[in-house]
Amino acid sequence: MKFLHFLYIVSAIFIFAACDLEQEIDIDLPDFERGVAVECYLEPGKPFRLLMTNAEPYFAPLPPLDETFFDVLLVDSAEVTITHQGVTYRLQNTFSFDIQQSKFFNYVAPEIVPTDYNTEFDLNIVTKDGKTITATTTILEPIPIDSVVVEFEEEPRNDTLFARTLTYFNDIPDQRNFFRRMVNVGSLDSIPLQDFSTDDRFVQDRVVFGTQFEFSAGDTIFNTIFHLDEDYYNFIESTQNAVNGNFNPFGQPSPIISNLESDAENIIGIFTGLSYDRVMSIVPE
Amino acid sequence: MYRIFSAILLMLALPLWLQAQETATLSGTIIEAESGETLIGATILVANYNLGTTTNEYGFYSLSVPKGEEITVEFSYVGFSNVVKNLTLSEDQTVNIELSTGVQLEEVVVKANSFEEQLRSTQMSVEEISTKEAKLVPVIFGESDILKTIQLKPGIPSGSEGTTGLFVRGGGADQNLIVLDEAVVYNANHLFGFFSTFNTDAVKDLKIYKGGFPAQYGGRLSSVIDVKLKEGNNKKFAGSGGIGIISSRLTLEGPIEKEKSSFMVSGRRTYVDIFTRLANQANEDNEDFSPIPDYYFYDLNTKINFKLGEKDRLYLSGYFGRDVFGFSNDFFNFDFDWGNATGTARWNHVFNPKLFANTTFTYSDYQYNIQNRITGFSFKVGSKIRDTNVKSDFYYAINNKNTIRFGVAATYHQFEVGRLQAGSDDGEIEFSAGQNFDGIQTGAYISDEITFNPQLKLNAGLRLSGFFNDGNNYFGLEPRAALNYILNDKVALKASYARMYQYLHLVANSGITLPTDIWYPSTELVKPQRSDQIAIGGSYLLNRNLFFNMEGFYKFLDRQIEFVDGAQLFANDNLEQEFAIGKGRSYGLEFSVEKKEGALTGWIGYTLSWTRRGDFELIDDTRFFEQNRFGDFSPIYDRRHDISVVAIYEINRRLTATATFVYGSGDLRWLPTGRFTFQDVYGQGSSPVVPLYEGRNNFRLPAYHRLDLGLVIKFFPKWGESDLTINVINAYDRRNTFFIFLEPETVTDALTGIELPTRVAAKQVSLFPILPSLTWNFKF
Repeated sequence: MKFLHFLYIVSAIFIFAACDLEQEIDIDLPDFERGVAVECYLEPGKPFRLLMTNAEPYFAPLPPLDETFFDVLLVDSAEVTITHQGVTYRLQNTFSFDIQQSKFFNYVAPEIVPTDYNTEFDLNIVTKDGKTITATTTILEPIPIDSVVVEFEEEPRNDTLFARTLTYFNDIPDQRNFFRRMVNVGSLDSIPLQDFSTDDRFVQDRVVFGTQFEFSAGDTIFNTIFHLDEDYYNFIESTQNAVNGNFNPFGQPSPIISNLESDAENIIGIFTGLSYDRVMSIVPE
Repeated sequence: MYRIFSAILLMLALPLWLQAQETATLSGTIIEAESGETLIGATILVANYNLGTTTNEYGFYSLSVPKGEEITVEFSYVGFSNVVKNLTLSEDQTVNIELSTGVQLEEVVVKANSFEEQLRSTQMSVEEISTKEAKLVPVIFGESDILKTIQLKPGIPSGSEGTTGLFVRGGGADQNLIVLDEAVVYNANHLFGFFSTFNTDAVKDLKIYKGGFPAQYGGRLSSVIDVKLKEGNNKKFAGSGGIGIISSRLTLEGPIEKEKSSFMVSGRRTYVDIFTRLANQANEDNEDFSPIPDYYFYDLNTKINFKLGEKDRLYLSGYFGRDVFGFSNDFFNFDFDWGNATGTARWNHVFNPKLFANTTFTYSDYQYNIQNRITGFSFKVGSKIRDTNVKSDFYYAINNKNTIRFGVAATYHQFEVGRLQAGSDDGEIEFSAGQNFDGIQTGAYISDEITFNPQLKLNAGLRLSGFFNDGNNYFGLEPRAALNYILNDKVALKASYARMYQYLHLVANSGITLPTDIWYPSTELVKPQRSDQIAIGGSYLLNRNLFFNMEGFYKFLDRQIEFVDGAQLFANDNLEQEFAIGKGRSYGLEFSVEKKEGALTGWIGYTLSWTRRGDFELIDDTRFFEQNRFGDFSPIYDRRHDISVVAIYEINRRLTATATFVYGSGDLRWLPTGRFTFQDVYGQGSSPVVPLYEGRNNFRLPAYHRLDLGLVIKFFPKWGESDLTINVINAYDRRNTFFIFLEPETVTDALTGIELPTRVAAKQVSLFPILPSLTWNFKF
């Protein structure tokens, strides 16, 4: 055993001494034609608003961190309209920052998105250089959270009794449903503890999403269940796959699956309704 | 169809009419004198009548010789002393031969046919490696690995660094039929591909067919890797083993009843987990210490054989191997294990000096199981494929101009695909998914090795295969042909054609094989894959000890499987909706020069090749992608140039120096070409740099090259022989690319809390720096 130990240590020393296994390199990527990225979430009760940014070659210069940042990042001077039930809403090219949500937009209409489920909204964009982008979506009805149960662990760990949450809701039968589950602790602009999307292939009528035993007394927990349409689900999943595929040598990368239509190259993004239910819980003493 | 059969029967029968001379049959088995192991491919030559043959894969030979004439028969095998016998046969005669290395305790040398035999053989596109070579060639962590060593032969580029994925002549990693004592091995990898499942100590012979497939093989498109285990020394008790950095191994063999029956048991296990557990225990109270996952693998090979009489021999062999990975902390317990189990019962029977039969029952099982337990919840994921197979192969040496092989086989496959069970302890929450399939695969074949004259030989064969799954019945007619024309005693020209069908498909990300890959049967929508390969080449015997070989090949691949972008492969009850079916082609040239005798031995191989895939159509038209979105592309293993040099120099009886050098054009990778900013919704932060992917496999990695060195120092103690093997992998510390990723650097704006990109960079990750290792091997 001592001999083995010796062999192992000697080799480990050699291996780690020689380790410098990650290094920056220069590479030439194939050409990429500059495109446009659009995000537009129709949230009942909120104004119509849309973000349009440039999709750039990967190694193109980044927007400088100065007052010109948004000039370089954003695609301005486009004509943007959303039509619903014969009414056309024109989104003005105005920079808008939502302080509460820490989100910014460069096309906004003063009108409020109506609470009108399952009827079509049509997006039409004509950019300054003549690119036409269209998309259609509906707002799905939210799937209500049935209950959020805060449950404590049986035995304390390090003198602390930790809690978890179980979030219950009911799947809509006889149709394919897609969900996005998000858990934030403290505030909604914190990095989510959980954020994943899934469909209802594995679930029975009653669905429960849980957390680990990781909350302490007094923690504020936001459990959110988004009801996604298939386009939005595909967009989120493909975006996640694109990010993961870049870092994971065993992963399969994915192009972004967008629901925008255009004759132009590299038009990507999502036009969808935002439909969710959210419950705030405070872990009791 | 009738015309095809008629033509083939005529072709097979024609040479029979050319026989006139009265003959007797000389037959028997050739074994190694020291151990009693049968020798595969030993040569039997009657020089004064220009007659010859070789032993088959069971050590049996049969040769028609002139009756009543004195003949001089030379029995030979590379590395062994020849045996010459003067015989006069008045009737059929059995002559069993023992060949000796002439040096006590010398390594069992199991080599390819002599160069002369290679020159004469119709079989082309085949590579063979000896266990002796495999043990000498330097390998990672000093763990000799016969499957990795054969990847140094031309036309068999390996997968990514450190993996045993084989991409033979542009075929996918799932297109290799790997058989261990005739039982299929579905995943030949340990440690995510760093090592193969084959313990070199237990292996007798490994042969890989890259094309020109003999008719007895079927079921995969691109290669057949035929591994045979040692039978066990039937003359004396013997053992061998080794202690290395990460594992130890021990093989014991000996007679059960001297020269009538023998056994072989061989096992190995890694023991890195012993040290990681000690480290975890030592740091139990250290909150900053992240526990190291537990990992080990082990495998066990066993074989016993019985000589039931002069005409019957029974072999029973088995393999069991597992990789075990575990990780646990305060929150969860994660266990992941995977592995193969195989069993073989084989009966050899000599009906008469011309007719030999081998009947085999095999069992194969590959499965993986993942279990995770979080307080109150648990989930299990797994997949399994299990085969039960029976086959009979007949070898009928009608005369010296016709050797017929024929046989039948049937396999019952059982699949558990994407089995998922999850739920809470109180039973309130339950998820489940998974599909079960079964199917029967059949095959029947006949082939004839026809010697038209001393210059011209043809091996013509036909295989009829079938697959039956839930009312979906598929049949495949697979013609095979191989031609050898000997121009003179130094030059031979060869050509071959083979059609292959593959009824099982591996659901895996392209180019990289993992233990969690799933085997999937042909169904109504997923039709069998098919390949047609033609090869032409020439062999040149530069001198008795230097052999040059060149082959060109073109392979057409039909019904190749890829996955739609963003495919959901995990626990998907409708997996085939994620498939796209297309075509492929691969073509190239292979060159090799090999030297097998003398102080300096080794080979140089070079392959120039191209591989493409295209014309894909989605199985499910309603999927969200436009048809043929990914168009034509090259798979990641499309390697333009591949060079390997292997040199083994026996300095003296005690010292042998070895070196291998490999150079390959970089593999392809799918890298993003663009980026965009994804703001996302309230509750989630923005992603300032999301990569945008366009055409598949659009970037070629830098060229791969590596020099490995080894030194074997032998000792000869009284009890046997031992050696100290010192290896230095990646001797000049080349940073070869394992993968490349593009990394954005960001800052968070203090005012808005938004993440802003500041820089993007490409980073390369390598797996191996310079890696020295030390292994002590012994045998007695």
